[in-house]
Amino acid sequence: MKCVIIGAGIAGVTAAETIKKINKDIEVVLIGKEQYLPYNRYKLTEYLCNVINDSQLYFASFDFFKDYNIKYRNGEYVKSINPTEKTIKLYHNEVMRYDKLLLATGGTQHLGPVLKTFAPFIQTYYTLQDILMIKRKLSVIKDCVVYGENLSNLDLLSGLCNLGKNITYIIKGEKAFFPLLKEEFEKDVHNFLENKGINIIANDKPVCIRKEKKKYSVETLNRKVIKADIIFAWEDRKPNISFVKGADIYKKSGILVNPYMETSARDIYAAGDCTEIYHPTLKNYWINFGWPNAREQGKVAGENMAGKKVPYQIQETLTFNLEGKPIDARWWE
Amino acid sequence: MIYKELTVRFCGIAGDGIVSSSRIVANACADAGLHVMVNDIYSAEIRGLGKSTSTIRFAGSKVYSMGDGINALVGLAQQESIDEIKDIQAEGSVIYDSSSPADIPEKESLASHIPPEINGFGIPLKTLANQASGSNRGRNIVSMGALCYLYGLPPSIFKDQIEKIFKRKGDKVVNSNLKAFDLGYEYCKAHYPLNNQFEMKTKARPLQVISGNDALAGGAMDCGLKFFAGYPITPATKIMEITAKELPKLQGWTIQVEDEIAAIGAVLGAWFAGKRAMTATSGPGLSLMSELINLSVMAEIPAVIVNVQRGGPATGLPTKVEQGDLNISLYGGAGDSPRVVMAPTDSKDCYTGIQAAFDLAEKYQTPVIFLSDLFLGQRLETEDIKHNINHKKSTRLKPTREQLNNYQRYALTEDGVSPLIVPGEEGAYYSITGLAHNTTGNPNFESKVHLAMTQKRYKKFKNMLKDLPPVEIIGDEDAEIGIASWGSTFGAIYEGMQIVREKGIKSKMIKSIMIYPQDEETFKSFFDSCKKIIVFEMNYQGQYAALLKSTYNIKPVEVHIPSVDPVSPAKVAEKIMEVSDELTQ
Repeated sequence: MKCVIIGAGIAGVTAAETIKKINKDIEVVLIGKEQYLPYNRYKLTEYLCNVINDSQLYFASFDFFKDYNIKYRNGEYVKSINPTEKTIKLYHNEVMRYDKLLLATGGTQHLGPVLKTFAPFIQTYYTLQDILMIKRKLSVIKDCVVYGENLSNLDLLSGLCNLGKNITYIIKGEKAFFPLLKEEFEKDVHNFLENKGINIIANDKPVCIRKEKKKYSVETLNRKVIKADIIFAWEDRKPNISFVKGADIYKKSGILVNPYMETSARDIYAAGDCTEIYHPTLKNYWINFGWPNAREQGKVAGENMAGKKVPYQIQETLTFNLEGKPIDARWWE
Repeated sequence: MIYKELTVRFCGIAGDGIVSSSRIVANACADAGLHVMVNDIYSAEIRGLGKSTSTIRFAGSKVYSMGDGINALVGLAQQESIDEIKDIQAEGSVIYDSSSPADIPEKESLASHIPPEINGFGIPLKTLANQASGSNRGRNIVSMGALCYLYGLPPSIFKDQIEKIFKRKGDKVVNSNLKAFDLGYEYCKAHYPLNNQFEMKTKARPLQVISGNDALAGGAMDCGLKFFAGYPITPATKIMEITAKELPKLQGWTIQVEDEIAAIGAVLGAWFAGKRAMTATSGPGLSLMSELINLSVMAEIPAVIVNVQRGGPATGLPTKVEQGDLNISLYGGAGDSPRVVMAPTDSKDCYTGIQAAFDLAEKYQTPVIFLSDLFLGQRLETEDIKHNINHKKSTRLKPTREQLNNYQRYALTEDGVSPLIVPGEEGAYYSITGLAHNTTGNPNFESKVHLAMTQKRYKKFKNMLKDLPPVEIIGDEDAEIGIASWGSTFGAIYEGMQIVREKGIKSKMIKSIMIYPQDEETFKSFFDSCKKIIVFEMNYQGQYAALLKSTYNIKPVEVHIPSVDPVSPAKVAEKIMEVSDELTQ
């Protein structure tokens, strides 16, 4: 049997490992879009700040793949799926057959329609490549602009602060707010950031970016102009599911799965941030974002692909938790 | 990652522009003052779309060999390139075409064979080439642009070269190729922005790129070659192509004859008539020439015979390298048949060595077999060759007026060399024959005459020492491990010695382009100073080791590499370390 896993994040790698642990004779191919070994995305800021080294960043090694006999195809992505033929097509037109397929492509930050126009001037902050690019430029970066209100922004702010950069943080609301934080930290976060020396511009948003000789110029809705060496901005996060377009698989924002992580297409499973799973309390499909949830979903998907019948238990807690490490611990104090 | 040297391989089939790609890269790097070595490997079949590869190694410092493995593979033909992946070093790259219009089965896809330690870069080469020129041609130039970005090389050096190469085809071709290059560069910048860096030399002067065959032909013409006769054979044909083009400009001649026997016959005729002459062949051709080489020995007519060795025996491996022709060069012939055998180690040796070969041949009236090989002959390398040009050079010992009065062509002299005249000169009447002869050249079969003439022919070799190119001892003088090798293996061995040196293991090597005769005293004292001797060579028998063993009474560790690929410095290093371990135990 051949199990193909699309996505080499924590969900995909956990699924691959789980399958091999159950039955080492199953052929497993893991396809990852990035060139690198699978890494802890939530540790990227620590990596940027040289708090951790390479080996602490990666959670699977070349030996891991050799030992488990998992074929890891990094730097490649899938452009379409044919559930009827049970094949996938990679971006270079290679056609690969599968018996069971797992979709674990995660999610990505997105820009709104206004800022999309200025995408070439905006530094993304999501992948290891982003971090390595920033590291390369770090010595010439002095002034930074950050826009966006999810936890990775908070993470980024902590990193830039730790690196001693001048930060201007633009927020839409009156106070800086981040969902899924521990309640007590959530209340204080605005003051906390200001006390760290971050210049917060409230009730505003960037509407135009210009590249000048050496700097960028960010213009806000309220006609403020901020000069910066680097601009970080994103407005929402969406599941990466463009490759299932055209395939007969039920989806909303993400790919819909049942508690066994099965999609509506036979022998196709999905796990992690690209999926929506039915939440009985919310009575709706819901993206169970986050690293620990993705890992658990990958494990359940792997078990079921290997022939078991194990349901995924919905994680009820909404408090963001990084492997037991609270987000405020990120400020390295 | 910051690279100080890079090895890049282009792989494809006929029409993919493999060789032209590597030439552009090599010349671009050399113009920027980088040291370069290029090795082409192609199939022996003349017909069909055979696979070919061209590998370029370049660095800021001198490159002595093709090194071990490659950093980047440009796979212009998917299936053909799969086998090349094994040579890629960890963290290396594969550039492949992601714009194949047809579906590719997993097994035939280059990408599916790339291990995770190696970075695959799928680039729509065909699409971008089409965008640049309106046709699929130019995929190689797109890939070059990609390569340039991925390794942080300065684009200007490639663009200058593209302009230079395509200039004769007109502006349209130049511009479409420049556009193809830019598209490859920009695609990588946009999709794979995190590139490597290459440490370029600053203020470096441009270097000359030359092949062993180029250098050899150039060296021969610069020292008075006036006549070339040959029959085409891989990998020696290039020499004839060069002389055919260049010799007429020097009032010389090149003739392509019906076979190698005719070629050596014509060369002997030209020398007999007083012209410096040469032929070039490979193993099968040398076999055919054996009889007339014997005539050269017996009649004491000079001859320069270049053998660009390839894999044997028989027609063997026409496009692969081997050093299997040493025995036939040394011993191939009837009777006691001494001849000079030389083996250059690099292009510089090809240039200076062939000039020495002419001087020895003419002065000592002997055949000289000049043993190059496919790797040395065809590889391109940057060499700083000091040109030594004398189109009228002659080292012929001419008779005095007095000697002409009673001219004895084979007069017995102290050093064995008899004055030699050109037929047609006044008093130049003598017989020439392959039969045993007396001092006048007339046939003579008396035992004492035969002995005297044989001694005379060997005596020349004893007295040749003062004119031989010098022997070099390379490495640590006080090393206990001594290495001997010959020909093109030198570079890989030298780099192998550097590898072990960094690990604290000392070694030294005796480098001489003379195989026979040799500066025996220097060789002997070198061997006496070593506790262990290693002899590396690219043949199965250990032909050079056999010569050294019989001459110097040594018991070396013999490393026989019947090779199709150039010798690996890492394997040389491994062997030196093994011998070093034995010494310390």
